[in-house]
Amino acid sequence: MKITSLLILKCHPEGSDPIILANASDVSHFGYFQRSSIREFIVFVSRTVAKRTPPGQRQSVQHEGGLHFVVDFISSLEYMVHSYNRNGLCAIGFMDGHYPVRSAFSLLNQMLDEYQKSFGESWRTAQADSTQNWPYLDEALTKFQDPAEADKLLKIQRELDETKIILHKTIDSVLARGEKLDSLVEKSSDLSAASQMFYNQAKRNNQCCSIL
Amino acid sequence: MLVKMVPSSFRDRTQEFQSVAERLRKSFSSGPSQNGASSSTSRAEENRSGVAHQSEFNRRASNIGFGIHQTSQKLSKLAKLAKRTSVFDDPTMEIQELTKVIKQDITVLNSAVVDLQLFCNSRNEGSISSDTSSHSTTVVDDLKNRLMSTTKDFKDVLTMRTENLKVHENRRQLFSSTASKDSPNPFARQRPLAIKSAAAGTSNNLPQWANGSASSSQLFPRKHMDGESQPLLQEQQQQQQMVPLQDTYMQSRAEALQNVESTIHELGTIFNQLATLVSQQGEIAIRIDENMDDTLANVEGAQGALLKYLNSISSNRWLMIKIFFVLIVFLMVFLFFVA
Repeated sequence: MKITSLLILKCHPEGSDPIILANASDVSHFGYFQRSSIREFIVFVSRTVAKRTPPGQRQSVQHEGGLHFVVDFISSLEYMVHSYNRNGLCAIGFMDGHYPVRSAFSLLNQMLDEYQKSFGESWRTAQADSTQNWPYLDEALTKFQDPAEADKLLKIQRELDETKIILHKTIDSVLARGEKLDSLVEKSSDLSAASQMFYNQAKRNNQCCSIL
Repeated sequence: MLVKMVPSSFRDRTQEFQSVAERLRKSFSSGPSQNGASSSTSRAEENRSGVAHQSEFNRRASNIGFGIHQTSQKLSKLAKLAKRTSVFDDPTMEIQELTKVIKQDITVLNSAVVDLQLFCNSRNEGSISSDTSSHSTTVVDDLKNRLMSTTKDFKDVLTMRTENLKVHENRRQLFSSTASKDSPNPFARQRPLAIKSAAAGTSNNLPQWANGSASSSQLFPRKHMDGESQPLLQEQQQQQQMVPLQDTYMQSRAEALQNVESTIHELGTIFNQLATLVSQQGEIAIRIDENMDDTLANVEGAQGALLKYLNSISSNRWLMIKIFFVLIVFLMVFLFFVA
């Protein structure tokens, strides 16, 4: 469950190449010599996918199999590119196949909201790729490796599942308590019978000494 | 010399013409010799130029006929390929190459026939007999007819190929999940165009040959559209895939919400069951409590009784009197028996 990279691009509707506004990539799990080429590859693929995502649409592209431009590249690189284009501002995420699609899109949504909150409308005038870092994206990349963080629904679901497990355990222990209570009841009724007999015996003892 | 392997309908009458020219020359040479000589030489030149023209005409006509024959052979090959095409083993590249080649040939032949006709018309302005002119026009018409029939066959083959493609596409979409509502439309769009060009190509005369060439030019855009119909289809499929993806996202969100709701509902049920169990067990606990109280009471009563008994045993004077009385009775009895 890994996010490799998050990008925000500005898409033109006429079909020219999109412009990168923010980019956060985590290529640490590739070999050292492949990292720069992987970064370029990410940039290229994100441009292509953003160009082909019509506004107001979400799109997921799955890529399997080898990339052969580096000789000893990881040949079984399966990953998915999720892109969400909202009124010309496009957010793209590179995730592996196990990351749930829904959380990916909610994460992209969040990214777009954050971006618009922090940069307002200034992105509309951007003409060239922006090279400055946006720290929110970097920490988002690390924070959201776990899809539950990004997707509130997933978090709620997870907590509810934990609660359900706890409740099941509680019910089991309550049933055990019930059994113990049953045995206690039996024992206490035996005890009360025995004590009653004891009392009767003692009373009889007191009365019968009149013979002697 | 000029016929080669063409099953042509024009006959080579050069020999006849030459014999007629000889005869005429002989008959003229009997008249005024100088005039006859000049006229005969001019006639001979005319004849020779006529012959040259005729042979030129014949050569070109036979070339065109040969080209048409070759094109029809290629067309039959294409027809075979198009019939053979299946869903997976599609010789698309060959078919497309072949169609391109045939299209080129037809255009070339078309232009050649038009040239031939112009040539024939320009030649007809000279002093040639009506036989020759009618012969040449017949030849030109014949070539045009054959070209037209070839283009019609070509068009039929293309129609068949598009039909095959449509069938394959339908079959493919039976096994895939994209909607097939839009796929017949590109093909349906091409149909009226095909019918129009077929209607244009059925009659034989010159003005409708112009229509025929227009029909062939209509044919080529249609073929071009054939090539374009595939990317159009793919684009429609892409769009159809994108709308389900949007729905899929929304659906997955709705599903997640429903899951959460059902989980909460289950949790509520579990809590209810827990409450039931606990209340039942509370009842049991109350019974235990009562039992213990009873026991306590019993034991306390018994203890009191025992204490009383102990008291009565430990501090009973009447018991002492009874013991002394028993002793005295024993002494009395003992004294009585001894004394």
